[in-house]
Formats: sequence, C-alpha cells, structure tokens
Amino acid sequence: MSQVPSAVLSCHNLGKSFGRDRRRDTVLADINLSLQQGDFVTILGQSGGGKSTLLKLMGGFLAPSSGSVSFHGQPLKGITPKIGMVFQEHSLYPWMTVEQNIGFGFKVRGELPQSYRNRVQNMIEQVELDDARKRYPHQLSGGMKQRVAIARSLVVKPDVLLLDEPFSALDVQLRRQLQAFLLAIWRETSTPMLLVTHNVEEAILLGQRLIVVGDRPGQIIAEVSTAAAEFRGRYHPKFLKLQRHLESVLEYNSATADLEYHPEETASAWQN
Amino acid sequence: MSAVGFAMFNPKFDQSWKRSVLSVTCGLISCIVLILLWEWMGSSPENPVTQVLPPPSRFLPVLFESDFKIGLGSQSASIYQSIFVTLLRVLTGMTLAFVGSVLCGMLISLSKWSELFILPILGLIAPIAPIAWVPLALVVFGISNLTAVFIVFMGVFFTLTIATVAEIKRIPDNLLITAKNLGGQEFNVWRMVILPSVLPGVFTLLRLNFIAAWMAVLAAEMTGLRDGLGAVVMTGRNLFNSNLILLGICVIGITGFAVDRLLLLIQKKFFWWQV
Ligand SMILES: Nc1ncnc2c1ncn2[C@@H]1O[C@H](COP(=O)(O)OP(=O)(O)OP(=O)(O)O)[C@@H](O)[C@H]1O
Ligand SMILES: [Mg+2]
Repeated sequence: MSQVPSAVLSCHNLGKSFGRDRRRDTVLADINLSLQQGDFVTILGQSGGGKSTLLKLMGGFLAPSSGSVSFHGQPLKGITPKIGMVFQEHSLYPWMTVEQNIGFGFKVRGELPQSYRNRVQNMIEQVELDDARKRYPHQLSGGMKQRVAIARSLVVKPDVLLLDEPFSALDVQLRRQLQAFLLAIWRETSTPMLLVTHNVEEAILLGQRLIVVGDRPGQIIAEVSTAAAEFRGRYHPKFLKLQRHLESVLEYNSATADLEYHPEETASAWQN
Repeated sequence: MSAVGFAMFNPKFDQSWKRSVLSVTCGLISCIVLILLWEWMGSSPENPVTQVLPPPSRFLPVLFESDFKIGLGSQSASIYQSIFVTLLRVLTGMTLAFVGSVLCGMLISLSKWSELFILPILGLIAPIAPIAWVPLALVVFGISNLTAVFIVFMGVFFTLTIATVAEIKRIPDNLLITAKNLGGQEFNVWRMVILPSVLPGVFTLLRLNFIAAWMAVLAAEMTGLRDGLGAVVMTGRNLFNSNLILLGICVIGITGFAVDRLLLLIQKKFFWWQV
C-alpha cells in the first residue's frame, strides 16, 4: 500500500517481536494500514493475536521492532495527546468523580478549571452522564465506565482515537447500546477511529473498513469495505454472509481457505 | 467466602449503619459482661485476685480522689495531660513517618539504580521493631519528646518506604499510560496519579503499624521518660499501688482503641479507594 498523503495515521511494514534469539516471538509482521480523515477502521483478530500490540504501536506506547508509524506524515516518536487511547477496562481513576475523570486531561496538563469547565460539561451531556457526574467509578455500571473513558479521550480533541476492545467486558445488550453510541459520536465529531475487537459482528457493524489480522505472525489476511448501508443492520443477508465468511477466515486463519462455513465438518473434526 | 463477605452481599445487612449499630451493640455487651464478671470476682476483699486486679469500682475512684492528678510532688500530672503527651508523641511520629516515607518512596522509585542500592538497606532496617530503638533514642536524645517521636518514626518509616515503592510498582499500567496519553507533564503525573494511587495502601500499613509504635512509646515512658501513660503505670508500680497500675492499663487500652478507630475513620473518609 502506498502512502496516501492525507493519511492521519499510517504504518509501513510494521513488525513487533518480543524476546531475543531462540525465544524470539514475532507477534506482528509487515502490517500496512492507513487511517484517513473521517475514517472508522476496525481490526478483527483472534485473542492473543497481537491486536493490542498493534494499537500500542500505532499510539506510540510501544516501539516497533521493524517498520514505522507515521502521524500526519511525520514519524511517530512516542506518546502524544493527539492520539487518544481507550482501554478495555480499568483505566478510570478510582478517586475521581465522573466529572473529574473526564476533565483530567486538562487538569494533568496544568490548565485552570475555569478554562475547561464548559467543554467538560458539554461532553458529559453528550455521553448522557449528567445524573452521574458526581459519582465515583465504583458506583458506575460497566457501560457507564466505558462512556466516561471514551468521553475523557474525546474531550481533549485528539486527531485520532484508538479503541482497544472497549466493549469486551460488557454484556450483549449494553454492548449494542454502546456501539450505537460510538457510531453517533463518530458521526458527530468525525474523529478518525481505529477500533480493535475479536467480535466479528462488532467489527462489521462499526467500521467503514474492516481489516483481519491473522495469527502467528500477525499479518493482514483480509480487508473488506463495510461502509455500505446494509452492514449497519445486523440481520441483513449481506451482513450475515460477511459475518459467516469472516468467521471462517478467522478459524482457518486464511482468506483463501474455504470461504463457506461448514458446521457439520467442524463437528465431525471434533469427534475424530 | 467468609461470613463477613457473605453478610456484605446479604440484603438484610445492606444498610451499613445497621451493621455498625449491630457491631457496636455486640461490642458493648461483651465489654459490660467482662466488667460485671470482674466486679463479681473482686467483690470479696480476701480474694487474692482483688489485690492484683482490683475491679473498676476500686481503681476508678483513684481518679477523683486525687483530683485527676497522678504521681508525687512536682512530677505529678493529670491523667489528661498523660494521655495528651503520649498521643502527641505517637501521632507526631506517625505523621512524620507517613509523609516522609511516601516522599522517599517516590524519590527512590524515580530511578532503577536508587531502588537497587537503597532498598536493600531499608530492608535490613525495617524489621527492627520500634521498641528496639528505645535504648538508643534515650542515649542520643535524652529525656525529651524527641526521643519518643524518633522511636515511632524509626519503627514505621522504613516499612512504609518499602511499601510505597512496592505500591508504585503495583499501579496498573493503564492509569499511567492514560495520564501520559492525555498530555500529562511528568510532575503532574506523579502528583495526580502516582501519589493518590499509593496513599490508601501506605495508610493501611501505617494503621497496622500503629500498635507497635504505640507500644514502643509506652515502653520508653516506662523506662526513661518521666511522663505519659507509661509513666503512670510505672508510678503505680513504684508506689505498690495496683489501683493506679490498673487505671493506667485501662486508659492505655481505651486510648489505643480510640486512636485505632480514628485512623480507620480517616482511612474511610480520605483514603477509601483501591487501585
Ligand atoms: N510485553 C510483552 N512481552 C512479551 N510478550 C508479549 C508482550 N506483550 C504481548 N506479548 C505477546 O504478544 C501476543 C499478543 O498480545 P496482545 O495483547 O497484543 O494480544 P491481543 O490480540 O490484544 O489479545 P486479547 O484479545 O486477548 O486482548 C501474546 O501472545 C503475548 O504473549
Ligand atoms: Mg488485547
């Protein structure tokens, strides 16, 4: 993939290995992807496949073993507030209220409360946490916590938002609510988002573009455009077909493997 | 899960005030039963137990008879003064140790090398019980409040410093990464994330170490210092007055208990979170 000039965040032949010599464990190899202004890209991969590692590389939290990451065309040198990150869980400060957590980005930069109070207030309204503003994280449900985490990252207006399985710890119902919430936020703010998940449905539903990262070493094994309207309804036949296809891609770890999903075959394989 | 853990999820115990009323009531009942038993055993003057362990009805009047003053001549002090002196010593020492150890622990954590060089020394000094510092402190500082403060400080400081370093290591990565990701300056991350993350854990340890510090100060007051609650007990011994000894012991027990509760209250009010 050639570098697109307007790419906000991109990586080129990105690779990451842990350990040394014979213990060397290559988690990611030759990843190329780019995120344009207004993009919503989802990355689908199996658990332990290196999805979090990829996000940490893209956010500058980890140094790549090979290849490079570019941010606005410049090599990314480390953590920057312009790239926001939302973790799966356990990232709220337990001694701060919802309001304080959301405003923390300003506070930790040394800004005065009166200069950011309004922005925090607007954000609290946007994520519908008005009634919970004085509550502490342990008094919130899992879904509320994740809304706080997303709000905290968004309120400082990052150029890109990285989300590492933000809804994985939630049950199906809540997960669906928050998916809708995230889509709405994305449409409103048009912040480019890169979301990692192991949930096929979520990957199709949220992204404009879907990238499947295979296992050992993690490489991009499939790329699908999911911008069309039919991918916004989870019971649309095309949605279901793609979902089935991606599930088999994940299972066989290859986009060229049999694309039809055969439950009977899998069952008999288990019996042998 | 333990019975306590179960009770916490039992809706009947849901309201915490109900639980605390229950525990206070039960505690009071068992204290009253103990005192009644004690009074009953000590009711006959011939009973040898009465000589050594006079019941409250005998030693409490000592307080009023002597106009709350205990001791002889110029050395006499009111019981309030004794409580105040002992408390002041313990609390000053603990406050200094708490503040100092959190600061030192954070400084040590700044560099891998300072951890490698300094932690082993702290590890060697920490196991020395506060009481073991009494003779040294008496030699160095003589008979002064400084002696007692020094004992408490030495007994608590090293343990708490090690705990601070350990607590800093335990802080979840996400909390630190998030702060840096939001654009936090290094100093603000230490002040706004690392410090609040370690305070509850270190304060818990301070609370657990209070008893040892308390005992050490009493020991110092019994052996070298001339005032405080420990000195009250020793005065009783010197006068062969078991009423006075018992009075001192009871005041020590009640004061220690009260401080422990106070610390618990502080913890619940100011350092209630867990990272
Ligand atoms: N710091 C590290 N040192 C050594 N190995 C690591 C390190 N971080 C990750 N790994 C390895 O990299 C692999 C991928 O980890 P990663 O956390 O990126 O997976 P993931 O796809 O996010 O999984 P999950 O869906 O469970 O979150 C794992 O096998 C893990 O053992
Ligand atoms: Mg992960």
